[in-house]
Amino acid sequence: MKTCIACGMPMESISDFAANDPSKDYCVHCARPDGEMQSFEEKKENLTKFIVKTQGFDERAAGKIAEDMMRKLPAWKNYFN
Amino acid sequence: MEISARQVQKFNTRKKIIDTAYRIFSEKGFSVPTSVIAKEAGVSHGSIFVHFPTLNNLLVCLLSDFGDKMGRSLHILAKKCDSLEDLLNEHLNVLEENEAFYTRLISEKNRLPDEAKSTFAFIQSTVAFHFSSVVEREIEKGTVKKLPVHMLFNTWLGLVHYYLLNREFFAGFNGPVIRKYRGELLSTYLNLIRKS
Ligand SMILES: [Zn+2]
Repeated sequence: MKTCIACGMPMESISDFAANDPSKDYCVHCARPDGEMQSFEEKKENLTKFIVKTQGFDERAAGKIAEDMMRKLPAWKNYFN
Repeated sequence: MEISARQVQKFNTRKKIIDTAYRIFSEKGFSVPTSVIAKEAGVSHGSIFVHFPTLNNLLVCLLSDFGDKMGRSLHILAKKCDSLEDLLNEHLNVLEENEAFYTRLISEKNRLPDEAKSTFAFIQSTVAFHFSSVVEREIEKGTVKKLPVHMLFNTWLGLVHYYLLNREFFAGFNGPVIRKYRGELLSTYLNLIRKS
């Protein structure tokens, strides 16, 4: 089973993939409306907002979690050297 | 590809260390020295360091395994279900299976190395992700009160964690809490958040 290179989500059904395209390595949540993968900044901002919305954390703490999360994912390797 | 006997042995040793660490940490907490884990696993102390150079490596590995388990079972469920009750039941299933380990985790979290701490934060974020997707659908349908998603989530987690952290009062020393209180926790929480 594939997991999203940009957020780590498991991708099982077609609808998990960006643009319903199982050849893509990233998921529907990591795609822009046009199907391209979000940039590092976009993904970080979206993840941070999402953590604030779903867990109510302080924005800076949420930003750190988002960054630590991205650090472990293949899509963002080059951003942490 | 040929797998050599050596690789098999290496894999087995690694698995033995992981399984033993999981059990010992669950029983005694995360400050148990690795020498104790080596002894219990029947491997040399040196071989722990070959597989896990630091305690942090071992912790992160255990936490990631646990997080994967949690993530997989909630992911499968959240996709196909519109019922928060089913999702919370599954959440409790995974916690029940790992109750001693999870309880150690939430009670000692602040003393863990940073990377282990952030791995734990990912796990909870994954749970929150699935929780929010299901609860938002219920709010839309009008079956759950229109409250902020993070408060709905934190209230659930707060309730479950309170019981786990006080397991000696609720279930007797080291007794399982979730099995005993699952029905009451679930029905009370759902009663609080559901629209009548
Ligand atoms: Zn993704």
